[in-house]
Amino acid sequence: MKTAIRAAAFATMAFVVPASAQNLTMAVGAPVTSLDPHFHQLSPNNAVAGMVFDRLINTDGQSRMVPGLAESWRAVAPDVWEFRLRRGVRFHNGQEFTAEDVAFTFQRVPNVPNSPSSFAGFVRPIRNVEIVDSHTLRLSTNGPYPLLPQDMTNVYILDRETHQNVTTEQFNSVQAAIGTGPYRVLSHRPGDRIEFERNDQYFGERPAFGRVNYRMITNDSARTAALLAGDVEFIDQVPTADLARLRGDQRVAMSEVTGLRVIYLSLDHMREDATPFVTDNDGRPIARNPLRDVRVRRALSMGIDRQAIVDRVMEGAATPTGQFFPPGIFSYVPDLPAPRFDAEGARRLLAEAGFPNGFRIQLNGPNDRYPNDGRIIQAIGQMWTRIGVRTTVEAQPWTTFVARAGRQEYSAFLIGWGSNPEGSHPLRNLIASFDRERGWGASNRGRYSNPELDRRLDEAMREIDDARRERMLIDAQRLALEDVAIIPLHIQTNVWAMRRHLRHDARADESTRAQDVRPAVQR
Amino acid sequence: MSDVTASGAPVAEPKVETPFRRFVSEFFASKTATLGLVVFTIIALLAILAPWIAPQNPYDLAQLDIMDGRLEPGAVGGSGITHWLGTDDQGRDMLSGIIYGLRISLLVGAGSALIACLVGASLGLLAAYAGGRTDSVIMRVVDLQLSFPTILAALMILAFLGKGILNVVIALVIVEWAYYARTVRGSALVERNKEYIEAARCLALPTRRILFGHLFPNCLPPLIVVGTMQVARAIALEATLSFLGLGVPITEPSLGLLIANGFEYMLSGKYWISFYPGIALLVTIVSINLVGDHLRDVLNPRLKK
Repeated sequence: MKTAIRAAAFATMAFVVPASAQNLTMAVGAPVTSLDPHFHQLSPNNAVAGMVFDRLINTDGQSRMVPGLAESWRAVAPDVWEFRLRRGVRFHNGQEFTAEDVAFTFQRVPNVPNSPSSFAGFVRPIRNVEIVDSHTLRLSTNGPYPLLPQDMTNVYILDRETHQNVTTEQFNSVQAAIGTGPYRVLSHRPGDRIEFERNDQYFGERPAFGRVNYRMITNDSARTAALLAGDVEFIDQVPTADLARLRGDQRVAMSEVTGLRVIYLSLDHMREDATPFVTDNDGRPIARNPLRDVRVRRALSMGIDRQAIVDRVMEGAATPTGQFFPPGIFSYVPDLPAPRFDAEGARRLLAEAGFPNGFRIQLNGPNDRYPNDGRIIQAIGQMWTRIGVRTTVEAQPWTTFVARAGRQEYSAFLIGWGSNPEGSHPLRNLIASFDRERGWGASNRGRYSNPELDRRLDEAMREIDDARRERMLIDAQRLALEDVAIIPLHIQTNVWAMRRHLRHDARADESTRAQDVRPAVQR
Repeated sequence: MSDVTASGAPVAEPKVETPFRRFVSEFFASKTATLGLVVFTIIALLAILAPWIAPQNPYDLAQLDIMDGRLEPGAVGGSGITHWLGTDDQGRDMLSGIIYGLRISLLVGAGSALIACLVGASLGLLAAYAGGRTDSVIMRVVDLQLSFPTILAALMILAFLGKGILNVVIALVIVEWAYYARTVRGSALVERNKEYIEAARCLALPTRRILFGHLFPNCLPPLIVVGTMQVARAIALEATLSFLGLGVPITEPSLGLLIANGFEYMLSGKYWISFYPGIALLVTIVSINLVGDHLRDVLNPRLKK
C-alpha cells in the first residue's frame, strides 16, 4: 500500500505545475457537498462559501466578529438591531449589493428544498425586516435577542436579481455560484475539485493567489503523500499519526490553532433505575443508575488522565479541558481548569458513593468520526478499569452509533461538539433540558436536566449587554460543569501543513480557505 | 553398508500397505508439505497455549498502559515486560497480541470451515443423491451464492448482523458452504452410479445410511482438499473483515485488526505494529496452503505420475 501511494505520487509528479506566485493547489480532507451556501451546514461547505460569498458579519481566525457586508451594527432597542451596509460592493456579475439583497436572502434561507441541515434557525428569530434606505436595515425580533449578530455570521448573502428562483443544482453547476467574496468559481467537479479565480473587485484584503485548484483527497495517507510529493502545496486535517513525520520534514511548514470542537463523554442521566450498560461486578444490573450520583460522575472524570490521552493518542494535537471553550473565546470560564488526574481520589469518591469495589460499564463511541475516536475510548477503558470501574469498549461506525446514541440506548459514550464562540450555543444544545418545541437540548443525548440551569440560560439569552451576558453564561457553564453534566476531555487543535514557501493564518472554525494562504516572506 | 543392514536385520514382517500408510508415506515424501505441516503445528500449539506463553493478556485493559504505546521492538515497558516485537498504540504487547490473534484466526478459520463443510457437504450429497428438482433448487442457490464476490457478501451480512466473533463465523459459513456443496455433489454424482451403491439400494438400506455410510466416505478426498484450502481462505477473509473494522471488537484485536491499527503509522516509520502481525498471517496461510496443495496431489489419482 505504501509503495502504491509512493508510485501514485511519482506518477503524478511529472505533471506538477511549477509553484508560481500566481497559482495555489490545495487539498482538503472532507468533500464539499454543495456550492449552494444555504443547503448544508457543514464545515467544508462553509469554508468554500467563505471564499465565494460574504456574510453581513464575517469572522476572523479566532471566530471573533468583524465587519463583512455590514460596516457596523447595534441594538437600537432591545428587540431591534440596525445594520449599516457597505457601499460600492458588487457581485461577481456586476450587480450592486443593497439592502434588498439581504431581505431576499432571509426569504430564501428557510426555503431550500431537501436541505440535510438547514440554515433556517439563523433567520427564524427575525420577526420583521425593515429596509430604511438602500444601505440600512432594521431587523426586529420577538423580545430581546442578543444572539442576532452571532447568527448573522452564518448567513451568506445572495443577490436578489441573480438568485431569484435559483436551485441548488444551479449553484452546483457553477452558473449560479455568484457572490461578493474574494474568489469566483471557474469549475466544479463534485467530490473531486473546484477551481477558483481571484475577484479583483473584492472590497476586503486582496488574496495572494490568482488561481486556486481546490482538491478533495479524503484518504489521510494519500493527502499527506500528495503534499510530500509536491503534488499539492497545502493540506488540511493533517492526520495525527503523520504529525511527527511532517514536523521533522524540512520541506514542510505547519500552522495550527486550538479549535472550537470539544470531545466529551456523555452519561445517562435519564434512567433512575438500571441503565443498560452498567452492572455490578458479577454482571447483574444495579437497581439504581449510579451515573445519576454526582460523586460517581466526578470520580469517572477524575479517573481520566487527559494529558496522557493528548500526549500519547492525539500526538499533542489537542488541549485537555474541563469546559467547552479554549481561553480567549467569549464566555470562556477563566477559573475552571481541566480536572486533575487523581486515581486515588476517584476510588475514594466511588467508595463514598457506595461502590468501594467499583462496577462494570460499557463505554461506546464512533470509530470513524473524530481523530483517534476508537483509540481514545480504549485509553479511557484502561484508566477507568484501574480505578475499579471495569470497562468494556465498543466502537461502531458513526451512522450506526449516532442513531443509537440519539435513542438513549447507551450508558456512556464519546462524542464531539463544534461550538459557535458563544456560551449559550453549547449550553442550549448539550446541557439544557430536552424540549422539542423550544429547540433546546437538541443534542442533549444523556438527557441531563437542571431547572436552575435552564432558568439562568433563559435569562442570559435575553440580556443584550455583552459584558453582563458573558458573566451570566460563565456562571451557567460553571454550574453545569461542577455538576458534571458531561465529562469534557479535550479540545482539538486544527492542523494544516504546507510546503515551506507558503504560510497560513489558521482558523479556529476549521475552515480551509485560499485567502488565508500567502507566500512566506523571502529571507 | 546397506547390504549388511538389509541382510543382517532379521526380516521383520513386511509392512502391510494400507491406504492410510501409503497416504502418509506419500505425503511426507514432499519436503515443503512436511515443512508446512510442522510450521502449522507450531502455530496451532502457540494459539492453543496462548494464555500460558504470552507475556501479557492483550485483551485485559487493566494490563495495558497507554504510556507504553508504540514502543519499539525490544523496549522495556513500564510494567517491566520486554516487548520483543514492540507495542501498538494502546501499549499492547505485539507478541502477545499476535499469539492471541492467531487464536482468533484459527478458531474462526477452522470453526467456520467445519460448519460450512457440514452444511455444504450434506446439501451436496442430498442434491446428488436425490437428483431432479431437489438437485436443481440446491444447485441454483449454490450458483447464486457463488456469483456474489465473497468479500462483498460477507460485508453485507456483517453490516446486518453487527460485530463479533460469532457473527464473523456465521458470515463466513454463509459465504463458504457453496464451495463444499459443489465439490461433494460432483464426486457424489460419479459415485452414485457405481455398483456398490446399487447393491446397497437393493439391500433396501435406509437412505441416511447410504448417504453417510457409503456415499460420503467415498467423496471425502476432494472434500479434504477443499476444506484445507477454505480454512486458509476463511482466515484471510476474517483478517480482511477485521481490517475493514467489521470483524472483531477493538479491544480484542485479531491479526487483521492489529494490521489495521498499525497501518496509519506506516508513514511515520513505526512499521512493527502492522509488520509482525502481517508476517504471522502470511506464514499461517502459506503453511496451510502448502499442506493443502500437496494433499490435493496425493489424494487425486489423476495427478499421479
